Amino acid sequence: MSFSTMFSTMGVGMLRTCSIFFLTLLFSLPLGMIVMFLRRSRIKVVQGITKVFIAIMRGTPLMLQLLVWYFGPYYLFGASIRGYRFTAIIIGFSVNYAAYFAEIYRGGIESIPVGQHEAAEVLGYSKSQTFLRIVLPQVVKRIMPSVTNEVITLVKDTSLAFTLAYNEVFSLAKQISASQTSFMPFVIAGVFYFIANYAVAFAMERVEKAFNYYR
Amino acid sequence: MVLEMKNIRKQFDGLEVLKDISFHVDSGEVVSIIGPSGSGKSTLLRCATFLETIDGGEILYMGEHAAHTDASGKAVYVHPKQLHRFRSYCGLVFQQFNLFPHYNVLKNLTDAPIHVQHRSREEAEETAMELLRKMGIADKANAYPYQLSGGQQQRVAIARALAMRPEILYFDEPTSALDPELTGEVLKVIRQLAEEKMTMVVVTHEMPFARAVSNRVIFMDGGVIVEQGHPEAVFGDPEQERTRQFLSNYQR
Repeated sequence: MSFSTMFSTMGVGMLRTCSIFFLTLLFSLPLGMIVMFLRRSRIKVVQGITKVFIAIMRGTPLMLQLLVWYFGPYYLFGASIRGYRFTAIIIGFSVNYAAYFAEIYRGGIESIPVGQHEAAEVLGYSKSQTFLRIVLPQVVKRIMPSVTNEVITLVKDTSLAFTLAYNEVFSLAKQISASQTSFMPFVIAGVFYFIANYAVAFAMERVEKAFNYYR
Repeated sequence: MVLEMKNIRKQFDGLEVLKDISFHVDSGEVVSIIGPSGSGKSTLLRCATFLETIDGGEILYMGEHAAHTDASGKAVYVHPKQLHRFRSYCGLVFQQFNLFPHYNVLKNLTDAPIHVQHRSREEAEETAMELLRKMGIADKANAYPYQLSGGQQQRVAIARALAMRPEILYFDEPTSALDPELTGEVLKVIRQLAEEKMTMVVVTHEMPFARAVSNRVIFMDGGVIVEQGHPEAVFGDPEQERTRQFLSNYQR
């Protein structure tokens, strides 16, 4: 197999990796916000359940979670799981990352000085105005470095989709390497991940700089 | 009467911070509250501005009840929607300024008038610029809070409170976070407001200022008002031994 055939075969995998990456971000970033609100709920039961949820998401391997999401419906309900593979991957990743993002959001919100809330309250801002106009913009700036970390980890974690035999870049690299007895697919995969992360870091740095207009 | 507080009681985890405090503020009056740390001065301001809820007593603005005590002796506040109106009567200037760091000076002054009071942007900006000129910082309209000195930040905070057109303005130790050098410029602004007959309540440790500017001085200690009266009377010839003792620490 020539280098160019190898590369174009793996190109399909790269697209699949990218789709896991972008869809996970699309769902987990807002979902994390919801989890954060539940975690900060004044209702103790809601708060408790959310704590347990986050503990499980952080305390068990993502690889295992993917298997549970994929095979769970069959073993628990006898449901057919044909054509469900990609959906299971996106659910597994999104739910897991939402838990991490929720904790990052929470840290950011709790780091905003209480004086900001009080100033807004005295000025007559409603609860939602205070959150959207005063707190959230400051939170976004503060959590940027932690979010960047998490997003970079996600780029590499997409390779865990191989657990469900999904042919993204990493799975393909393994397969082609074995069938062609070549080291090259691993190099291609490595370079791909590195470039992807370089792009992420570059983009996030731009975003961070955009927030530099105040301290 | 702009503000009337009657028999205010407040405790934090069983610790009584305010014990049956009653006082009032007339329109155009400047009242200074002095006293040692932990005497309940700041808590009293926070209760008056609804940042803290009282356990018992009555709060009236413009003769209207914002909170009263029911038959069981517990304080009851008006419906949140009405409370919003009472909030709009009062402005508060914090010790730590608490400006919004992500907004420039102009936006700090116009955001609440536009989004809370639904005034037009044009009008809000005009009012804001007028206030900034009065505070002597019109050239800082586009600066961000971190670019300003403490004294300038506090003047922006005063302008932000005034932009809401409050009936009464509260100051919680407005110069305690400032270098002595910057204290003067903030006190000058408050003095100017006093001359314009702005109704104000100032919690302060600046005794010469309190003596010169206020119409009335309240000395608090241990959660009660020990003494109140004309500044010359309280500072010049205090009736209570505790007042005398406290003031002697300031005479050097």
